[in-house]
Amino acid sequence: MAGPQELKELADRAVAEIAACADDAALETARVRYLGRRDGALTQAAKQIATLPAKDKPAYGAALNEAKARIEAAHETRTAALHGASLEQGLRDREDLTLPGRPVRVGRLHPVTATIREVSRVFATMGFETVEGPEIETDYYNFEALNIPPGHPAREKWDTLWVSNPLGDDPKMPLLGRTHTSPMQVRVMEQRKPPIRVVVPGRCYRYEATDAIHESILHQYEGLAIDEKLTMADLKGVLYSFARQVFGSKSNVRFRPDYFPFTEPSAEIAFSCVICAGKDPQCHTCGGDGWIEAAGCGMVHPDVLRRVGYDPDRYQGFAFGGGIERLAMVISGTPDIRLFAQNDLRFLESF
Amino acid sequence: MLIRVPLSWLREYVDVNVPVDDLAQRLHMSGTEVKGIERKAWDKIWVGRVADLAKHPNADKLQLATVDYGEGRRTQVVTGATNLRPGAIIAYGEIGAEYIDGHTGERAVMKPKDMRGIKSEGMVMSEKELGIGEDHDGILLLDEKLPVGAPLSEALGETVLLLELQPNRPDCLGILGIAREVAALLETQLHEPERANLGTAAPRGLDVRVEDAGACRRFAAARLDGVRIGPSPEWMQRRLTAAGMRPISNVVDITNYVMLELGQPLHAYDLRDIRGGTLVARQARTGERIRTLDSVDRTLPDGTLVIADEERALGIAGIMGGESSEIRDDTTTVALECASFEPRGIGRTATRLDLRGSSGSAAARRFAWELSPDLVPIALARAVALLRDHAGAKPAGTVDRYPRPRPRIEVRMPYGLARKVLGIDIPREEAIHILERLGFSGCALEGDTLVAHPPVERTDIAIPHDVIEEIARIAGYDRLPARVPDGPLPLVEAHPVQEFRERLRDALIGMGLQETVSYSLIDPQWLGRLSADGTPVAPEPLRIQNPTTSSQSVARPTLRPSVLDTARRNLRHRGGVALFEIAPVYLPRRGDLPDERWTAAVVLAGNAQPESWLGPARDNDLWDMKSVITGALAKLRVGDAGAARPSAPGLHPGRSERCGSAERSTLTWGQLDPRVAELWELPAATFVAELDVAALLARVSPPQVAPPPRYPAAMRDLALVLDKATPYAAIEDAIRAAGKALVESVSLVDLYRGPQVGAGKKSFAVRLVLRSADGTLTDDDVDRALKRIEGRLLHQLGATLRT
Repeated sequence: MAGPQELKELADRAVAEIAACADDAALETARVRYLGRRDGALTQAAKQIATLPAKDKPAYGAALNEAKARIEAAHETRTAALHGASLEQGLRDREDLTLPGRPVRVGRLHPVTATIREVSRVFATMGFETVEGPEIETDYYNFEALNIPPGHPAREKWDTLWVSNPLGDDPKMPLLGRTHTSPMQVRVMEQRKPPIRVVVPGRCYRYEATDAIHESILHQYEGLAIDEKLTMADLKGVLYSFARQVFGSKSNVRFRPDYFPFTEPSAEIAFSCVICAGKDPQCHTCGGDGWIEAAGCGMVHPDVLRRVGYDPDRYQGFAFGGGIERLAMVISGTPDIRLFAQNDLRFLESF
Repeated sequence: MLIRVPLSWLREYVDVNVPVDDLAQRLHMSGTEVKGIERKAWDKIWVGRVADLAKHPNADKLQLATVDYGEGRRTQVVTGATNLRPGAIIAYGEIGAEYIDGHTGERAVMKPKDMRGIKSEGMVMSEKELGIGEDHDGILLLDEKLPVGAPLSEALGETVLLLELQPNRPDCLGILGIAREVAALLETQLHEPERANLGTAAPRGLDVRVEDAGACRRFAAARLDGVRIGPSPEWMQRRLTAAGMRPISNVVDITNYVMLELGQPLHAYDLRDIRGGTLVARQARTGERIRTLDSVDRTLPDGTLVIADEERALGIAGIMGGESSEIRDDTTTVALECASFEPRGIGRTATRLDLRGSSGSAAARRFAWELSPDLVPIALARAVALLRDHAGAKPAGTVDRYPRPRPRIEVRMPYGLARKVLGIDIPREEAIHILERLGFSGCALEGDTLVAHPPVERTDIAIPHDVIEEIARIAGYDRLPARVPDGPLPLVEAHPVQEFRERLRDALIGMGLQETVSYSLIDPQWLGRLSADGTPVAPEPLRIQNPTTSSQSVARPTLRPSVLDTARRNLRHRGGVALFEIAPVYLPRRGDLPDERWTAAVVLAGNAQPESWLGPARDNDLWDMKSVITGALAKLRVGDAGAARPSAPGLHPGRSERCGSAERSTLTWGQLDPRVAELWELPAATFVAELDVAALLARVSPPQVAPPPRYPAAMRDLALVLDKATPYAAIEDAIRAAGKALVESVSLVDLYRGPQVGAGKKSFAVRLVLRSADGTLTDDDVDRALKRIEGRLLHQLGATLRT
């Protein structure tokens, strides 16, 4: 019955049918019908080869192979065409991209932490290592070692929260919440030898009524650099570089004489106002004069050096200290310092 | 300390040849902080006269004052003041005038008011309302010679510099000291005020004795006869008022005037009251009492220096005089004391007597600073001259005891030090010129050494650095260049705890938690609210001895109340919170500073996910918290937090645990005890975790770095039925123990606790991924491993397999 001609016709039929398949399901039905291993038409046709006389076998075999190749090629072509059409179809889809995505929780650093990191990062560019020290301090480190003995009138600058130990107070070692990060100047110098370049961020305490610009619990950063040749010009350069990195290359620093018992000469540092650049007489950030008083600084007092065993004729250096929240307020335009400790997430999420 | 310097008064001692704004700028930039410039330019406020006073028909405490304010203008105001009388000269503010509200301190604008049925057209004003003082008890009574109807600005106008002084500059407590600064800055002439020649004659019937030379460094007194008590001159009263003091009488006003001029307080006694005629500076006797000028009876604490006569204490030295010897209207012979005290003793006593600070004693505030003893004869001579001129006084001798005179200060410094400290050269001639302008004497260069003697009023100059600051601040800090420091950089140390702490912070924000930073001082009541029965969950805290508020009176020994409070306040306005704080907790140690232990506290409550079009809302549960913990620990390579103990104090007994050693928990976590949650107004399903940063760091394991596997894995699911009491971890442990290195991962894909597995039972479906590093596993290899695993689960845990 069968011969090469029938096989060609079978292939013609199959190719036409496959080419007409409209979707994957029809194509699969057609594939099973012609190419199916068990009952497909080609499988059936292949079985017939055994019944043929030997002389017809090669021609039949060749026709069978050709039919198979044609049908497979047609299947492949159709598969690709249907896949292409389906991709085309998919590409015609237009989604509303304004629909919201799945709700996501975004974690953020608190601005105080972010500012501390920024301060550490910037001073690290100038070789300052970040170190930390105790918040609960002794009178010695907070005051006496910094030229502020008991009864010294400068103590009024740092109204103090005194601390009582439930395990017993030692009258020789009164405890307090450090009123500034400056005690770490002494601790660092006691533990190290020059050259020294450290920056000390941390929490401080003041016996003080709070308002929009004052907090009784606050954070400060302290810098200390000791070497043989550091001068007040170097101090100004370090703070100038700090201002440029934090507030931008146009910012500037101003030094004004000030008084701290543990530095001589002493200065108050003001940064040029980033908000108004000195142009708005009503500016809330700088008060209109274009300068934001941000920190205190000076050359470390020879008596402080002497007390930690440094020879003030050989070593000298500078120290500076400023408020972290104050800096964060200026950077972010936060109007009230108390917002930082209130931790209203609506405020924190605005950073 | 804030002082008020009326410009007209300053001009008496120094020529000011620049506008006041420039003057303020120069002072400010040379170290005298200018807090403000007060320009009194009152608008719509007039000098008025009380023409008539009548009772308010409807109110006992109010009066109706008819005020005449010139050119026939007359109005009626209602006032509650009690110090008015007809004829009084007052400041009258008409409708529209600006004033300071006496109660709130805020600026306000005068409006017509109806007071108990009577219309009040304007106001008779107090010091406070005018913004020139703090007094709001009565109406400010003006000099009777002021012209009625004149604008107040013309009659009283005065520009006042508000200066914030630093305690190293007691010389600037006097306006003359400020004038010295101005003269140096502007290079203009200083005019010292006239002083009397005190002569050398000792006063008759008056002597002084110093019994405690440590506390009283110098003690001088002058006798003045023929004194006539009366009002001080009008110009003096006006200056005192402008500087913030209230005029009393000529003698008292002169002592105050000299104090404001020179910074040196003085005290006047009626000589009749000095029994034995000797003023004695001595320590108070135990329990000694005195009635001070403010009419308060005080028991003097130990260590108080008093000024006494031979019988009794007359006053508290340097702080406040006593009533028993004060100047009276009939005083004719005055003993005028001028002394110098050891400042810390004064400060200590003033603090103990609560007379420190701006509301305390004006003398004590000054004496607590290092006033120069050299001011004593200067101030005394000045006061004697004024008493002679304005109180009819005849000087009748002075006595001056100065047991250990202060040596003349000489500073010698190699001039190169100025450059070494400042980093710039200031020419030597300029430096010497600056010092001379500042009143330094004997300034010279001996070779390379600068020699200078500070003026006697200056007690802040002792070492070369002090002199360098003087030169620099007058030359101007603007001249300092900004230079990047060179020189060797130090070796930098590692800070593992800080670094680890910051990585923990990053891990937690990376999981979507918001960081918070709250007050480290908390309300002690919070600590009692951390467990259902109030038993403490943390050690007894360090206490603040002088808290500003009880809500900040202990140093927190745990972060838990802080994060609970933050969560509670935020849940008022939002559906859920996921937040954390990392801060030290303060654990008391005997005889040492507290252990400041860095801790992280996490809280999850309310919505984990809000409802959206993509899915329903979901609340936080225990497993959200566990994910946060395992996520953070994985990120930080902490394999495990240590041996777990069920039930942490203050947390749900069945849904919490503590990991770590018995003494120090590495990790405490679980559901907050719902009874505690109620106390904090938090949802019952509130979850907390506390992590000890240093303890976690100790458990960090090094990274187990391996190349990706080369051979394929085999995956098998097991369904197990076990006793309900068997923890999941036991299954995973058993699987790993039996499967050894072939077990790559075990994951729990289902947990069923219900009737189908029988009472007291539960069913786990776990998925195993098996893989060998040595080759592709055959089915036989996998089957053998599974046999071992199933055998172990059966024998060790009594698990049965479900198929």
